[in-house]
This record gives sequence, structure tokens and C-alpha cells, in this order.
Amino acid sequence: MVTRRGFLGTGAAAAASGLVGVAAGAGATNASASQNLETFVAKRELSFHGEHQMGIEADLQAVTNFIALDIKPGTNKASMLRFMSLITDDIQRLTRGEPVLADPAPELAIGAARFSAYVGFGPSLFSKLGLQAMQPEGFHELPAFKVDKLQEQFSGGDVLIHVAADDPIVLAHGTRGLVRDSMPFASVRYVQSGFAHTPGMVPAGITHRNLMGQVDGTANPKFGTKDFDSVVWIDEGPTWIQGGTLLTFRRIAMQLDTWDQLGTPSKEEVIGRKLSNGAPLTGDNESDTPDLAARHPNGLTVIPDFAHIRRAAPAKDGERIFRRPFSYDAGISSSGSVDVGLLWTAYQRNMDEQFIPIQKRLDELDLLNSWTVPIGSAEFAVAGGVESGEVIAEALFS
Amino acid sequence: MRKFSILVAAVLVLAGCSAEPEVAATDLWVKSSESSLAGGMTAVYGTLTNNTSADIVLTGGKTDAAGVTEVHEMAMINGQMKMQEIDGGLTIPAGQSIELEPGGNHLMLMQLTADLLAGDEISVTFSFTGAADLLVDGIVAKPAEGGDEEYHSTEMDMDN
Ligand code: HEM
Ligand SMILES: [Cu+2]
Repeated sequence: MVTRRGFLGTGAAAAASGLVGVAAGAGATNASASQNLETFVAKRELSFHGEHQMGIEADLQAVTNFIALDIKPGTNKASMLRFMSLITDDIQRLTRGEPVLADPAPELAIGAARFSAYVGFGPSLFSKLGLQAMQPEGFHELPAFKVDKLQEQFSGGDVLIHVAADDPIVLAHGTRGLVRDSMPFASVRYVQSGFAHTPGMVPAGITHRNLMGQVDGTANPKFGTKDFDSVVWIDEGPTWIQGGTLLTFRRIAMQLDTWDQLGTPSKEEVIGRKLSNGAPLTGDNESDTPDLAARHPNGLTVIPDFAHIRRAAPAKDGERIFRRPFSYDAGISSSGSVDVGLLWTAYQRNMDEQFIPIQKRLDELDLLNSWTVPIGSAEFAVAGGVESGEVIAEALFS
Repeated sequence: MRKFSILVAAVLVLAGCSAEPEVAATDLWVKSSESSLAGGMTAVYGTLTNNTSADIVLTGGKTDAAGVTEVHEMAMINGQMKMQEIDGGLTIPAGQSIELEPGGNHLMLMQLTADLLAGDEISVTFSFTGAADLLVDGIVAKPAEGGDEEYHSTEMDMDN
């Protein structure tokens, strides 16, 4: 007889309960032997269990992979549940810096290094499985925007596993394990790799820079606040999405050859903030609130009418998003042009009330559009968090 | 003085250990592959630890998931790596652990009673000489690359 889903926290653990003494003993020996080899970077762990999935309300890690998968024909709710139980166990182990079960290369599990992974589902998954009734409110394929130059190879996906870590080897090893366990159920649609600053490069909590040079992320809601909860975390609708969020994922190319022809004052006017420290053009510090009404003596607005932060600012209450962009670098052409940009993410409760109205406004006017081009696009509904013994998105596939 | 109290503590810890099972199983998993369909075969892997001060021998197992359960090793037979039943079972030396792993020793499950799909779970009872049976629930089926060893048997030829 074959049974399902007991092994997460219960099954194997219960069966192994008698060996707690041994396991703990062995672990202690290993730990003391390797303790001085483990660095600060390797040891830092993010917590897997909780109300929300991990890797969203968290400082950027150094490296990331967005792994999009398409389910195989014949995959149904029951197989999705088996899929998610494997992935849940894998993530749990990887976040502790441990090898996944059946890891062919356990020696690569050299530390947690703030490894994180969360799972989301694209609109295509709901239609393929006939689960439209479980689709969250304000979640669907995006309308077309004038600025879009979307490529299939960077767009869509039934399932997203978004992984990140502070070390590229840890990331590659974790990615491999998660992809291996996905293969009975799905094929890889794309993996988009990105990066941010390495740990220790900028103090925790300090806003990262993107490859245009800008301090990027200033106006985000702050972690651990009610404000963050109200922008990002869903607290109604089908149970599986409660504690979850909606992700808009855009691959946005930067045209640095032409951007670099601008002088500093022009670059700053495009955004409405200073390049040196991210302060608004109407202030001195990054944390100063932009004064959108301020005018030069000549009557022109200090933060220009075409400026990105003016156009992106909320037109009404609640029209905000949480951005957690990683940079990408896909190489350099023979003529020296860099293929770089952002793996840009917006987390929100409802795309119709948050990302879409903002993007519509930017589509009409935003001078930044002259140097940025969305070339990939996808939406994923990110399931709520799990407690020990639970499977990610269990309620969606049960 | 200090040394003395540490010794006392150590004795207490040792006394606590008597509650341990004779054999402990950690991180067990079973392979899910194209071969693990009903009627087919697969193997169970993981770590078995002998917590006693005498050798214990893994002699086989029982599971509802398979008609036949054998302890296998890999051996070079006529210049090829093949797997075969270990005569007399697999010894777990006193106080030590053994690894059951792909390409090495394993608990072979044959004549599977149902398709074993990735993410499924099975229960297996391990049988030993020198220790009581050990029932392990929730052994999860993990997808793993082919590497399915060729089977060498004097009774039946199950080469695949
Ligand atoms: C490559 C593309 C983009 C770049 C380089 C970029 C860069 C920036 C920078 C430097 C800021 C100011 C600092 C901050 O608050 O983070 C900013 C703010 C912002 N951006 Fe973008 N951005 C990009 C695309 C987008 C898109 C596609 C959207 C939404 C559809 C967006 C929405 C916002 C919002 C809502 C703010 C905060 C506005 C406020 O101050 O209220 N950005 N962006
Ligand atoms: Cu075998």
C-alpha cells in the first residue's frame, strides 16, 4: 500500500523518533568538527515555517533563480499534491543548509546562506487543472501595454519556484535539487538568473542599487509593519491564498548605451531622485518625502511631470506595491553593448488595484520608458505559508 | 572537583541512552523511476545505525509495497557492475552506521504491488539478526536518475 504526504514532519520523523539520541549525537560531532569552517555568511538562516512563504519579506540575497515550470500532460491535483510535498520537504532542508533527501551531491550543502524558496502558480495552471474557482481575486494574465516587447522565452509559466541565496554554489545546488524533484510532474520553461549586492557589501536595510546606478527600493513598505501587510499579504479569499500574495514578474531590459549619454542632472530628473544617495530632488536624504508640488522659480515642477516617481506614486489609497528587484546580466555583445536589466517584481494583494493601474499610468507617460523595455512578463499567485508537517498549497490541490 | 561533576553528567547521559532503539534509520527514501511501476522494482536507501555494542545483521524486510524484499550489494560480475543478493545479509558493526545508497548496498523491492510515483510514501519493516524488527513509516519516493543496476541472480534472470 502506498500512502501520501505523511513524511513532512510526521511520518519519517515519527518513525525515526527513537533515534533522536543518535541523530542528535552524530549531528553534534559533525558540527563541532566543522564549526570553525562555517562562516558568518554560510550560517545565516531564514525561517521556513510561518504565516507567509519565505523570501519575500526579506532583504535581497546575493543571487537568485526564477524557475518557471509547465506541468506535463496528465498532471492533476493529486500529482500536484505529491509534487508540492516533495518540494516542501526540499525547501525545508535547504533553508537549514542540509542536503535534500536523496541528494546525489550532499557535500554541496555547505551552509544555509539565507537560502529561500517560495512557490507560486500562474493563471495557466488554474485553467489546465480546472481550478478557476480557486483563483484569487485580482489575479489574471496582464493586459498588453504599449511599452511591452515581450518574448515567449521569458514569459508565463504554470508554476514558479523562486529561489535565492547569498552564495552562487548554494543557489545552484538548491536549484538542481528542486528541479530534479519537479521533473516527474513538469518541464522547465525558463530559469532567469539575477543578483543583488553580496552580503556585507551594503549594511542590512540599506537600499540596493540597480545597474542604472539608482538607489532602487526606497518607497517600499517597511518589513514587519502593518503597512507591509496591507500592501502585500492577502487575508481573504480561498484558504490556500490566505497569507499569500500576488507576484507580477517582469524582465525589464535597460538600454545603458543611451542612458549613459545623459548627464547626471538629466538622469536624476528622469527618476525624480538623486543618484548619489537616492534623496528626492526636493530633499537631502533618501528618507525625505518627495514634495511633488514644489516648483522652481521658473514655475516648473522640481520633480518633473515625466519623472518616474511622480508617475508611479499612488493615485489613490492602497495603490502601492512591494518591489524586490534583482539585476540580471546576460552578457555583452561584440560591439560592447551590455544585455542587462531587472528581474523586476511587484508583490501585492490585487493586481487590478495595485500593479495594473500604476503600470497603465507609466505606459502613458514615464520618461524612464525611453531606456527600459519589458521583455518578459508573468504572474504568479504565491500560496500562504506552512507550519511544520504541512505541504505548500495543500488546500489548493486537496 | 569540576572533573568529577562532568563525569557524573556523562554517566547520566549514558544511562539515558538505554532507551534508544537498537537500530535507528535516518533519511530513508525509495526511488521512483520508470522501473517502479506495478510489477516492477525499486530500492530503499538511507542510513542505518547500530546503537548496540554487538554487530547486527540486516537480513531483509517486509512491505505491502512489494512482493519480494532482498538485501542487495553491487558487484563486478563478468566485467559489469551488477547487483545481487548478499549472502547472509549486511552487517552493521557495533556502534556504527551503514549507508544504503544508489550504486551501493540497498534494500531491493521487487514485484511492486502498485505504481510507486514520485511523492508517494511506503512503510517498510526491516528485519535483523541481533535486533528486533524496525518499522519505518513515511518513506518517501524520490525521483532519481536511472542508474538502475542490472540484476544478477542465480535463480531468476531479471536483467533489464
Ligand atoms: C527597469 C525598470 C525600472 C527601474 C530602473 C525603476 C527604478 C526606480 C527607482 C530608482 C525608483 C525610486 C526609488 C524607489 O522608491 O525605489 C523607483 C520608484 C518606483 N517605481 Fe520604479 N523602476 C522600474 C520599473 C518600474 C515599474 C515597471 C513599476 C510599476 C509598474 C515601477 C513602480 C515604481 C514605484 C511604485 C515607485 C515608488 C514611487 C513613489 O515614490 O511613490 N517601477 N523606481
Ligand atoms: Cu538490487
